[in-house]
Amino acid sequence: LVAGRGYSDGERRVAGSGYREGSPQNGARSPGCAGPPFRFLQVQKVGAGGSVGLVRLQRPEALNALCEGLMAEMRRALDTFEADGQVGAIVITGSEKAFAAGADIKEMQNKTFQECYGGGFLAGWDCIATIRKPTIAAVNGFALGGGCELAMMCDIIYAGEKAQFGQPEILLGTIPGAGGTQRLTRAVGKSLAMEMVLTGERISAAEAKAAGLVSKVFPTDKLLDAAIGCAEKIAANSKLVAAMAKESVNAAFETTLTEGNRTEKRLFYATFATVSTGLAVGAQGEWGCGPPQPILCYQNDRKEGMTAFVEKRKANFTDS
Amino acid sequence: MAAWLRALLRRRVQKVGAGGSVGLVRLQRPEALNALCEGLMAEMRRALDTFEADGQVGAIVITGSEKAFAAGADIKEMQNKTFQECYGGGFLAGWDCIATIRKPTIAAVNGFALGGGCELAMMCDIIYAGEKAQFGQPEILLGTIPGAGGTQRLTRAVGKSLAMEMVLTGERISAAEAKAAGLVSKVFPTDKLLDAAIGCAEKIAANSKLVAAMAKESVNAAFETTLTEGNRTEKRLFYATFATVSTGLAVGAQGEWGCGPPQPILCYQNDRKEGMTAFVEKRKANFTDS
Repeated sequence: LVAGRGYSDGERRVAGSGYREGSPQNGARSPGCAGPPFRFLQVQKVGAGGSVGLVRLQRPEALNALCEGLMAEMRRALDTFEADGQVGAIVITGSEKAFAAGADIKEMQNKTFQECYGGGFLAGWDCIATIRKPTIAAVNGFALGGGCELAMMCDIIYAGEKAQFGQPEILLGTIPGAGGTQRLTRAVGKSLAMEMVLTGERISAAEAKAAGLVSKVFPTDKLLDAAIGCAEKIAANSKLVAAMAKESVNAAFETTLTEGNRTEKRLFYATFATVSTGLAVGAQGEWGCGPPQPILCYQNDRKEGMTAFVEKRKANFTDS
Repeated sequence: MAAWLRALLRRRVQKVGAGGSVGLVRLQRPEALNALCEGLMAEMRRALDTFEADGQVGAIVITGSEKAFAAGADIKEMQNKTFQECYGGGFLAGWDCIATIRKPTIAAVNGFALGGGCELAMMCDIIYAGEKAQFGQPEILLGTIPGAGGTQRLTRAVGKSLAMEMVLTGERISAAEAKAAGLVSKVFPTDKLLDAAIGCAEKIAANSKLVAAMAKESVNAAFETTLTEGNRTEKRLFYATFATVSTGLAVGAQGEWGCGPPQPILCYQNDRKEGMTAFVEKRKANFTDS
């Protein structure tokens, strides 16, 4: 139970996991997440049937500034959710005050060019961008610099009313280094992106929605519930097909419209792939009696989805 | 062909607007909320080819009913298709007819534009929406993904977050949201929508068809290449609008040369020259689509 802010229905609380606010030393251990306890994150499964992976940044003394340790834990948490057959979508959030106020400047302060280039500084941050399951950034408070870039790596951004987005790297004598100039410009257009990147100034949640950076804005205390609700809806669909849908949308940023349409069509055709013939005694219940017979199994979600639509019943996806 | 069928077809596909300059295609499959079946799309290709070849038509409006522009592709048709049938038969490949047409197209969307219906609207150059229009890509709820450009055109129109949300949840947006997000350019009351779209088409059709096709090609290049290359493409097309002022005999062509022996003269034989000259001379331009 989130302290003082319980989810609106009992289903959202993972039984017995006692979600804890408080100091990182609590080391909240996520069910099913192996390895040492997280120091900078709270990681747990929430939502209907534990279908939503929740990662909460928890480094309050630094307004969730993204240090190497935090990002290493982020990679571990995301890899775990990626491999978990129960998790259909992932929500990344921070505190009410800050999603993430930037990269850790003390860590970066004395780096040399040689250390950056040779060490591939920030390269590991791409973990959020390469994950195949859908991701939603639930942003309350500050999402600045690396924090804004982290949110923009996610597929969907929901913002709380008081959220602020910005790329203030110029004020530190540097530039965004984790995709800020690329994703911000594609989201909000040239003029606003140039203004933000060159002045370091922030925009509000309302401005971010008007500009197309975030798709919805919620009251601060309703934001996380809303993001988990969206993730539940996504997780209710076929995970296989959701990954294909996400890949297709992302192709829009990688190639021409004509080539993107080709990519989409290839993925679309693939959703029709392989209706399997074979023995299916007992698989669907109604075939439980009599000798095994070769039959068509609805072994793929596209066929199941369309058939359910035609038969006016709920689809029963199997992520295949 | 039976007279009733001719009448039916006339209502679905007709020329409207000043001087019959606007081709109107109205989807009319009410029992299926205009779901796009192969037969409908074959007729669409035929109607568009006819308008493309018609020298009188300068712009095309595609619309549906008040309740639905098109509520999707025909699911019963798709339900039992295999991958082999799709790939081998190039399923949906013929739908590109709207995207490849050279004359300007306007989608006038009232009601539902979902799945293939939304993709059809987005293939058009301009989208006008009625107040109650709804746009969505609900294919994920059927266990598939958009297959006619939805993930590509929607993302380019409304940005990543909203496109991902729509494609992954299947949820719809309203006409007002679509306008705020950049998917549609104008919203009208339901009963005024078609008139407004035809009015816009008339304005487009009043210009040079030749130059309008070049303008449309140029805008579309913005989605196909880098800014630098797109600017090159635009410049080449721009220069082309200055092409070929013809010298030659022009007795009688412009009226005022009707007397006297033929003399070599400069003819205003292209629309760019005519357009700029008309502007300078403070008169209406008389385009000849050349």
